Amino acid sequence: MAVEVLIPKLGLTMEYGLIEEWLVAPGTPVKPGDPLLRLATDKVDVEVEAEGSGLFHPAVESGAELPPGALIGWLLEAGEQPPGAAGEALPGAASSAPAGTPAAGPAKAPTGRLFSSPNARRVARERGVDITQLNGTGPGGRIITADVLDATAAPQMPQQTVQQTTPAARPRPASPLVRRHATAAGVDLAAVTGTGPGGKVLRSDVAAAVRPAPATQASTQQASTPQSVIPLTGMRGVIATRMHASLQEMAQLTLGTEATMDAAVALRAQLKEQWKQAPTITDLVVRAAALSLREHPRLNASVHDHAIHVQPEINVGLAVALEEGLMVPVLKRADQLPLSAMAAETRRLAQAARTGKLTLPELEGGTFTVSTLGSFGIDFFTPVITPGQVAILGVGRLRDSVRWEESTPLKTQVLTLSITFDHRAVDGAPAAEYLRSVASRLTNPLTLLA
Amino acid sequence: MREITYVKAFTESLMQLMAEDENVLVIGEDVAHYGGVFHAFDGLLKTYGEKRVIDTPISEMGFIGMGVGAAARGLRPVCDLMFFDFIGVAMDQLYNQAAKLKFMFGGDVSVPLTLTTAGGAGLSAGPQHSQSLEAWLAHVPGLKVALPSSPYDVKGLMVAAVRDDNPTVVVLNKRMLGSKGPVPEEIYEIPLGQANVLRSGRDATVIAVGRMVPEAMTAAGELAREGAEVEVIDVRTVQPLDSATILASIRRTNRALVVHEAVTFGGIGAEIAAQIQEEAFDYLDAPVLRLGAPFAPVPFSPVLERAYIPDSNRIVAGVQRLLERTGG
Amino acid sequence: MTEPAEQDPMSGLPPDVIHDLHRRMVRIRLFEEEAGKLMEAGKMPGFLHLYVGQEAVAAGVMTTLRTDDVITSTHRGHGHAVAKGADLRYMYAELFGKQTGYCKGRGGSMHINDLSIGMLGANGIVGGGIPHAVGAALAAVYKGQDSVAVPFFGDGATNIGAFHESANLAAVMGLPVVFVCENNGYAEFTPQDRHMLIKDVADRAAAYGMPAEIVDGMDAVAVYLAARRLVERARAGEGPSMLEAKTYRFYDHQGVKGLRIPYRTQEEIDSWKQRDAITSLEERMISSGIAGQPDLEKVWSDTSEEIAAAIQFAEDSPDPDPAHLLDNVYTV
Repeated sequence: MAVEVLIPKLGLTMEYGLIEEWLVAPGTPVKPGDPLLRLATDKVDVEVEAEGSGLFHPAVESGAELPPGALIGWLLEAGEQPPGAAGEALPGAASSAPAGTPAAGPAKAPTGRLFSSPNARRVARERGVDITQLNGTGPGGRIITADVLDATAAPQMPQQTVQQTTPAARPRPASPLVRRHATAAGVDLAAVTGTGPGGKVLRSDVAAAVRPAPATQASTQQASTPQSVIPLTGMRGVIATRMHASLQEMAQLTLGTEATMDAAVALRAQLKEQWKQAPTITDLVVRAAALSLREHPRLNASVHDHAIHVQPEINVGLAVALEEGLMVPVLKRADQLPLSAMAAETRRLAQAARTGKLTLPELEGGTFTVSTLGSFGIDFFTPVITPGQVAILGVGRLRDSVRWEESTPLKTQVLTLSITFDHRAVDGAPAAEYLRSVASRLTNPLTLLA
Repeated sequence: MREITYVKAFTESLMQLMAEDENVLVIGEDVAHYGGVFHAFDGLLKTYGEKRVIDTPISEMGFIGMGVGAAARGLRPVCDLMFFDFIGVAMDQLYNQAAKLKFMFGGDVSVPLTLTTAGGAGLSAGPQHSQSLEAWLAHVPGLKVALPSSPYDVKGLMVAAVRDDNPTVVVLNKRMLGSKGPVPEEIYEIPLGQANVLRSGRDATVIAVGRMVPEAMTAAGELAREGAEVEVIDVRTVQPLDSATILASIRRTNRALVVHEAVTFGGIGAEIAAQIQEEAFDYLDAPVLRLGAPFAPVPFSPVLERAYIPDSNRIVAGVQRLLERTGG
Repeated sequence: MTEPAEQDPMSGLPPDVIHDLHRRMVRIRLFEEEAGKLMEAGKMPGFLHLYVGQEAVAAGVMTTLRTDDVITSTHRGHGHAVAKGADLRYMYAELFGKQTGYCKGRGGSMHINDLSIGMLGANGIVGGGIPHAVGAALAAVYKGQDSVAVPFFGDGATNIGAFHESANLAAVMGLPVVFVCENNGYAEFTPQDRHMLIKDVADRAAAYGMPAEIVDGMDAVAVYLAARRLVERARAGEGPSMLEAKTYRFYDHQGVKGLRIPYRTQEEIDSWKQRDAITSLEERMISSGIAGQPDLEKVWSDTSEEIAAAIQFAEDSPDPDPAHLLDNVYTV
């Protein structure tokens, strides 16, 4: 009796999983607990283990992106054939539905063709919606524009703070003819850079991918082979999609101010001697940011359904740069964490992020984000708001500067704080007030110890 | 503004054009003494005399060719082809001569000829007196073709056609002759090649030709009651075709239906649909639909003829097809 | 040059007219001969319908017309254009498809036109230009002018609808049109007795209530006199008429040797060649003392030079620019 291997649901908001790698070869006997594949979601990478015994038989190739519950393989008995002839529809995909019955899932014919209108595809592209995940309500289950628009009005998770989860990389935009060319030429569309409008993959792009480009001096030639092709999948894809979506949907602008850090630096030096784990400058900033959010709750909100939803808790995400990409572990109820606890927590989270050990709850529920580029030598930058939030605080590097006392120049240490805010929810003045409040707390850091 | 009939607007245009330019003359069968079988030329003989309003024998090739020669020599003849269906007997003079003289002769000869005719079905006139053949003419480089859909448009397009230095065919619709509408008293021109957006909407675009324009407006009214707002475009001329206006509309509404009386296969809707899918592919939410007559000659019996000609009900059904969603 | 006699004693015409007839015929002959050679040598694109043999008709009619009298012509129209006074350079340029041609390279042999000399174009559709001449006549009457319109056409064209409609229309409207039929005995490759039952195309005029004359198309003087009669009649407002000129083309329907499918006997061709209109006129000119042999030869050599220069002009002219392909589709 064949045991099905399915995509597990990892976390409440998971919409799909990317099979990064099968860890066993087809036909290998496995028992419960044996790792079968490495699965990536927009949040985590995990190993998925077998839940039964049998000879492993994959149903899809690595690189496939499928929703939770999708069938990806079987554990077979000796001599057993995998169920279903070629062309059987994957569960969750609609075969040609009888007239009048709405498609139960994405509008895929048994051959895997997605029926969607050109305009739906265009709008989905622009809004960062993964069209393969939509139900089509057009004739024959065709996905039409309205289906895409319905999907971008994100459904609410009642208990959780709402996060607009945007799916990771969707299939490359390309006309059916180009797809056929790619298939015929053995070209993976995901690996092709599209030079058409909106990144659309053209036939010439596919052709260029097949032929090695002649070595010429003009490296700026469009037809030359790229030096390396990094697919926008996995985390890279998530970042790409979410950054783009964030900038598309919100009205973002950035304000900056300088915070005088002499007292903060001095405090830190003191604490370093006294505490096991001294807070970093970033910790001080995060605490200041969290405390100031209590007084400026409008910056701790989310915009959806034509309304600003002020969040009940202050959960500050801290952006952690990784080798390829970044992750944003969340400090839950950051305003209630005493500085010492916060320092310990941020350290733990950063470590977990770098070693890939972050858990899903640690990545969810953020209501505000702090991002630092100080260690990279950046003075000022314009961070991009995390989708689902209305503001993000950018922290520049601690640097020497000069302040004036009357006509006397004095050495001082400063850093630049920047706030990018969603002007749909927050105006410039309140954003500025918030920023000054954070700066002010850093200038008088004893308040942070409370 | 006073309201007059479609046919009166036509007569008035000629009355005023012949006053404005002494080189305008009218040539056709039964146009002078009889005033035209549709009374479209009533009163012209009386006002302008036999020199300028000429009855011809039944010789369409002959008198349309004569019109070509006269136009080449500086006159501005308006030749009337009693029924659009008769164009076959004169076709050479229209598409091989009138349309091509300017080009073929290297530019030194112009043919400011206007051909007026009456087309369309619905009067039980039978297969050889009911056709809409504008697609044939739109296919000929050198010709211009106008299909006015209202009294206002008849006068304005006629003035433009007669003043235009190119051979221009103005196709009146027989069923609209008695329809009334506001028409300014003074002479005015509607530029050829400029479509008319009669109604704005955001859900679908209906592109209509000639008699189908009022049908489209009726359909739009019904659809509005169902909550669908339809944009209605009257092409006015199929050559030159105002593609820009049509495409701009599709980019906004994402759905298109073309409707004309002519047979669907190879009708002007085919050209419009091809242009839309080529130029606005990424903006289409549904295939472009065409609504025209079935692939048969126009039948005589009223029961059959009613089934043959598109109408507002079919336009409504077509738009509904464009908008349909199952379980959405 | 010998002393010019006062008149040609055989026709009562002034010598100028006879010289005029002669010059026009020589021009046509040489133009066509050279064009035929170039085409059959592959130096000219497309195909030509040569007028060689029928020169007396074009020359005879055109000599009686004014510049403001309008003619329309056929696929075999070089003779008409040359006789009407077209510029040989622009004619050759058009045959070569050059930008300097009469049609700017867009029309070719069958659409030569020059409104400035009253040449309302040649037509590739049999009978296509006949209604245009009727229209030109209408325009003349309309404007109160006394110019006349003359459509040229062959015996074959008198079978097509456009001819009948035009003849009837002109007659019923009393327009100043002289319908000139060049009956060369063949409609393309079909002899006359196989495409109509009547022997004289002129008989058809009666069907429209028009008078007609039949004339020997190899006799330029006879053509001239007959044309003059009918043209003056029309000019006086007495209505249209028809002139049938019995003539013959020495070369094939198309080209010199054409498709080399024999449908005419060599005897027939030779018998007409013996009646060559230019040769016979020259004989009369010499015998009546209007011109000497050297005068006549001078006409040939002068014309040859002019033609050589015209061909050179055409060969040196630029081709049309494809970027201007859409020019003149419409009058702007």
